[in-house]
Amino acid sequence: MKLFLEIITPIKIVLQEEVDEITIPTSEGEISILPNHVNLLTKITPGEMVIKHNGKIEPFAVLGGFLEVINNRVNILADHAIRASDIEIAKAQEAEERARHAMRNKQSENDFRLADADLKKALLELKVARRHRSVKS
Amino acid sequence: MATLITLKRRIRTARNVSKTTKAMQMISASKLKRAQERAVASKPYVERLEIISKNLSHKIDNIEQSDYMKKPDVNAKLIVVMSPDKGLCGGLITNLTREVLRADSGKLYFITVGKKAESIVTSTGKDLIASFPFGSSLPLYDTVYPIQNIIDEYFLGKKVSEVQIITTKFVSVFSQNVQNTTLLPINIEMEQKSSGVTLFEPVVDEILPDILQHYIEMLIYQNLLESYASEQAARMIAMKNATDNALDIIDALQLEYNKTRQEKITNELLDIGGGLQKAYA
Repeated sequence: MKLFLEIITPIKIVLQEEVDEITIPTSEGEISILPNHVNLLTKITPGEMVIKHNGKIEPFAVLGGFLEVINNRVNILADHAIRASDIEIAKAQEAEERARHAMRNKQSENDFRLADADLKKALLELKVARRHRSVKS
Repeated sequence: MATLITLKRRIRTARNVSKTTKAMQMISASKLKRAQERAVASKPYVERLEIISKNLSHKIDNIEQSDYMKKPDVNAKLIVVMSPDKGLCGGLITNLTREVLRADSGKLYFITVGKKAESIVTSTGKDLIASFPFGSSLPLYDTVYPIQNIIDEYFLGKKVSEVQIITTKFVSVFSQNVQNTTLLPINIEMEQKSSGVTLFEPVVDEILPDILQHYIEMLIYQNLLESYASEQAARMIAMKNATDNALDIIDALQLEYNKTRQEKITNELLDIGGGLQKAYA
């Protein structure tokens, strides 16, 4: 028995495959989903999501969204989701720098909010990428 | 018959027109590519969100229903019209105008996105409560929030019984259809009660408004994206036709120009020939 996992963001379908286990941060704390999990609907909070498949562990960085479990199908609707191995650290660092810069000389409330969102995204990507790397080496 | 100089001028004008339209066609083509990608890419997300919202609504009792699903008892509607800021995109705006004017009786409030929509609504003397610029680049997600705020204010404040969106759906590069969709109240077909219990974390009351609100946001944004893609596609085709027409005109004028020139030369030769004949006679 396996779970069918689908991760969809507004930009693209990130993942569509069968997995054994999903660990994900939600508004009520971190949860793990195994096959035959009760149907569930909950909110995702930004953090690190881990997928287990055939003993292989694959970390992802997710920004908020929704998670739905229906009869062993798991649908994740995330604002942003990226495989840890796809995160480009240099790019994320650059984004962090740019966002900090934008926040320092903010033009308007709106710019500040946008920069803040970018910063959170960059920091999350960096955190997940770094932890993933230290596990590997 | 027109003189050579006027013909030459007309050819030059037509050539300038064809250059401009060709450039506009190419700009739209490059913008269209990105717009199309985005509009297509976010579709699965919106569809899934719709399924979740609908599934969710099966599992709740009437008491728990969100205000977004209830239809207030007022004879008024709020209509959001989305159009490009600029013209020169074929029949797109005409079709939009027709749909706006078809809107039925009762009190109507309008929100417009795009200058063209604004001028349609104001020129027909309808009640315009807010208007936003569409911009000439890919619409930002931020555009959605102020629109949603006004929609919330009118719908949840029970000033209107329905919220509709009039926009152009992107079917293909060659066809864009004007569509009038009902945004609120969220329409739920009670198809089948899905079996089994569902756990909500946190409770339904908290998660339901969040999901529905996000769903509305995404729907508005998806419509903006499609509207933008439609605009670029329509403009590209319109400008392609304009370029083709200009080239046809250039061809016709060039032919006439050559004919006139040849005729002039022939006449001059005849004159010389006649003169010579006289001299040798």
